[in-house]
Parts: sequence; C-alpha cells; structure tokens
Amino acid sequence: MRYLLISIFCCLISCASYTKKNNFTEVESVDEVVHNSYFSDTLKDYVYKAKIDVYNKSFGGIFIVKKIAERNHRVVFTTEMGSKIFDFSFEHDNFKVNYILEEMNKKMLLNILEKDFRVLVREHESILSKSVKENSTLLETKIVNKKYFYTFKDEKLNSISRVNMGKEKVRFIFSEIIDITAKNIQILHHNIKLTINLKSIN
Amino acid sequence: MRNILYILFLVASTVHSQQKMSTAEATVLKEKVKAQSALTKTITSDFVQYKHLDFLSNDIITKGYLVFKTPNLVKWSYVDPFVYSVIFKDENLYINDEGQKSDVNLSSSKLFKQLNKLIVNSVKGDMFDDKEFDITYFKTTTNSDVYFVPVNKKIAKYIKAFHIQFNEKGDVMEIKMIEPSDDYTRIVFSNRILNKTVSDAVFAH
Repeated sequence: MRYLLISIFCCLISCASYTKKNNFTEVESVDEVVHNSYFSDTLKDYVYKAKIDVYNKSFGGIFIVKKIAERNHRVVFTTEMGSKIFDFSFEHDNFKVNYILEEMNKKMLLNILEKDFRVLVREHESILSKSVKENSTLLETKIVNKKYFYTFKDEKLNSISRVNMGKEKVRFIFSEIIDITAKNIQILHHNIKLTINLKSIN
Repeated sequence: MRNILYILFLVASTVHSQQKMSTAEATVLKEKVKAQSALTKTITSDFVQYKHLDFLSNDIITKGYLVFKTPNLVKWSYVDPFVYSVIFKDENLYINDEGQKSDVNLSSSKLFKQLNKLIVNSVKGDMFDDKEFDITYFKTTTNSDVYFVPVNKKIAKYIKAFHIQFNEKGDVMEIKMIEPSDDYTRIVFSNRILNKTVSDAVFAH
C-alpha cells in the first residue's frame, strides 16, 4: 500500500512536471480534440524514403502510408528494390501484421513499430490538458494507455512526445510542412538507439 | 446482344494476344536466350521500376540505370526520386544510400545468396533451370513472356513468380517479380546496350 501511494505521488509530480519543465502554462480546455492531419487524405499515397539507424547499423527503404478509411491505415515498408519488409494495418485500436520478413518477426521490435506508427497515423484524440507558451500550444492526450504531448507552433503540429514518468521517451518531429503534408518526419527514441528518418518522395 | 458479342470478342482477343508456346517454340526461345546470354559480356540499360501495392492509388515509380559485367557483377542505381545504388559483387551487397556507404555479407545466408543469384540471372534472362522453376512459355505478337515459378518452398515464400518479357532477339525487356500477396515490382528496361566497354571502376565501392 505504501509503495502504491509513493508511486501515485511520484507519478503526479512527474506528470505535472513535463508541462512545467517546458515552461508551458496550463489553461482551461473544453471538449477539445487533438488533430494530426499528416496522413488524413484517402486520395493520397504517402511515400517516403526511409533511413533507419539502429544500434550502429543503418539501413534504408521505402515507407508507405495509405489511409484506407476513417481510423483505418495501412503502413508498409519495402526495400528500395521493392521487396516487402513489413505490412501493417491499423484499424481503430487494432493492429494487424499482414506480413513481416521472418528475420524481423521479433515481439519486442513489433511492439516498438506498432506504438510508433500508431501515433503517426492517429488523426484525432480527446485531450486531457492544454497548456500555452507564446505562440505554442501543448496538448496532452493518451493513446492506448500511453501518454503523449502534441506541440503546435503557429497552429502547425511540430512534434509529438511520448512521456513516461515526466520524461520524454520518444519524439516525433514534423518539418517542411506543406499544406497538410509533413515532407520530413523524424522519430527519435531516447531509451534505445533507434532513429527513423522519413523524407517524402512524392 | 450486340454488346455481349462485343465483350466476348474483346475477351477472346485478349486471351489470344498471349498464347502458350509449343514445346518446339519454347526450345527455340530458350536456345536463343542462352546463346545471347553467352555472348553478353556487359549490359548497360536504363530502367523504370513500378512498385504495385494493391491498396495504393498509383504505382510507386522510381528510375535509374543498370550495369552488368560478366561473370556476375551487377550495379543497380536509382537516380530519381532519390539517389541510391547497390552493387552485387561476390557474396556481398555494397550499398550507397545518398552518400552513406554500407555493405551486407550474404555468405551466412543460403537463402539470400539464392535470391541474389536470381536477381543477377534475371538481368540476363537466363533462368531456364527446370529443377529450380516451373516454366511456362507464352508468345505475343512480337515478344515472348516466360513465367518462372520457384520450386523451392523457401524461395516461394518471398517470390511467387518471375515474369520475364523477351524481344524477338532474346533480350530482356521487362521483369515482373510477384510476391505471394500478388503485389509486384515491374521493371521496364530501355536504352539497353550490350557489350559496351565497362570499366571495373563502375563496381568500386
């Protein structure tokens, strides 16, 4: 019981501190929803050249996202020569592996990829809190039990941070934003040596 | 009624545009490709690659060039919309990804070595090995289509079939690699030049 109280107390302190650590001031929000429109057009094929750096190894490929319907996305990774490496479906909170290269079919790796790409394609989520700083807004939300902070600058989504115990674990950075497409996306992991760089090629 | 007849005619003519070859015709094609392959010391060619995924609105188009030199050196270079090349040399793949160089040694994986060999052989079109493939021959008005279905189950997990289109001289015009899911990669060659002098420096990493 004592440990439970301590951990709840720690959690309260640390959760509050991510907003404060970044000098944002909490403001009142009523029924607000966070929007990520970067993969929201069903008519568009989203095609990126990908570079993945994992533990001093580097490899590339083609990263493809297609919105099939509302809350339904297909995420595929192929080599430059076209061989499929993985093919996932995200529908509502469900995750389905349509294909994965046998050599990559590891539970831990799948978990990481599932969490990362789920956030990337998730379009709307209710917010838990809202904070502001100059021309930036920080929106807190939860996606499948994980806490995320969305940072908007001049109303454009600049980054998403997965936060645990007040500490940022993963950061998604969106840049070169044209209309509702992010031409550059970086996914940086802080607790494992994994970086995914995506550069739009269409 | 006239519409039905019209549709039937269309279907019939489509079926007729690709006809199965007789054994004799298949032998002639096979000999022609093998002879051509034996005389080929180098190949340089441009290509356009179409990656077809069923759920996409459009195929993903990438363009580049290919250089082949006997016995088994292949450089596969993409120039648009990104710069990337891979050199198949001995048991290694040498990759240059927009200036970032890396290499992959395939000697520990028999499967990847086999897949590698298939890619190198498909460039010349000489894949007529009945032990490795179920082979079906078709003729069209001017060209020949040959379907190679891997017999080896491990290979078949990656590639359901190779379709190679040859012109009347026995040169490879097009390669289609079909995945078990029926998604495919189609490569169309152009400006294909045989036996031009190619320096070994092309394959330096």
